[in-house]
Amino acid sequence: MTTVSDEATQTSADLCQACIAALIGSQAGITGALVSTVDGFAVAAQVRPPVSGDRLAAMTSSLVALVDAVSQDGGIGEGRDIVVDATAGRLLLMDVPQAGSKLILAVLCDPSATPGQVLWAARRCREHLSDRLPAPGVQELVHER
Amino acid sequence: MAGREFKLVFAGSMGAGKTTAIAAISEIPPIRTDVHNTDVRSHSKATTTTAMDYGEVTLDSGDKLRLYGTPGQTRFDFMWRILAKGAIGVVLLVDNSRPDPLSDVHAYLDAFRETVSSSRAVIGIGRTETHPEPGLDAYYALADEYGISVPIVSVDVRRREDVLLLLNVLFSQIEASLETEEQGAMA
Repeated sequence: MTTVSDEATQTSADLCQACIAALIGSQAGITGALVSTVDGFAVAAQVRPPVSGDRLAAMTSSLVALVDAVSQDGGIGEGRDIVVDATAGRLLLMDVPQAGSKLILAVLCDPSATPGQVLWAARRCREHLSDRLPAPGVQELVHER
Repeated sequence: MAGREFKLVFAGSMGAGKTTAIAAISEIPPIRTDVHNTDVRSHSKATTTTAMDYGEVTLDSGDKLRLYGTPGQTRFDFMWRILAKGAIGVVLLVDNSRPDPLSDVHAYLDAFRETVSSSRAVIGIGRTETHPEPGLDAYYALADEYGISVPIVSVDVRRREDVLLLLNVLFSQIEASLETEEQGAMA
């Protein structure tokens, strides 16, 4: 990721980076994680090549927005967690609520991961970030690179 | 010939008016996927589309159009390719107040080359009242560079009649393209 010059942004990005590093280290089978803005910018990423954090950030943004639209159109409220069950692993997406907005946490797993444990660890990561990220959050600051 | 259904894609840069254009003509409440825009340095809009817009409109002919709007930013180019599948035509919207609107057009002509190259496209230039340059001639010159022949018109996407005119122009292009293809198949 590009170096973040703003001190507050650096602190927020560092916090996200440390949180996803801890998440990845906490459960076998988690191969990568990402925190991104709702409009598709990576705040912090730890993914293995050839996965691109920036590209994953844009794609998760689209996916979350589509699930929100489908959920609301289907009369079941706002979308929450999303699990993509793929042939060689899983992708878990969840909101990280912030004052007035939210971030997105994405977790990539291989087949050896235990879904329930990954979900539990990801929720702890989300709560940790929600509690500690400063309002109004990193969304605007992340562009001061 | 009545009762056909077609998929059309609205493409163009962020703020060009894709969401507005679809909302102006859709018969159903448009489906939107706009979220808080954090990149205010690139554009001052409060929100931005991250997946797609969707609307529907029925023409006087009875043909039903399914309207798909793309996200504008190039980081969402994967959505451009997804939404372009099966589209019979493309409406390319340009914001003439952008710093280099001609350059903006390049990315979208490349991304939608297959549809655009068969002339099933129309280019709508917005905000020409306040930003008359570059003029339409410059856009026609750009289209010539690409070897494509598509209509290029000034448009205010907030006006329903403007957007419908854009679609009528596009449909003339599509009909002509389909006739050419049919003649080619019969030859």
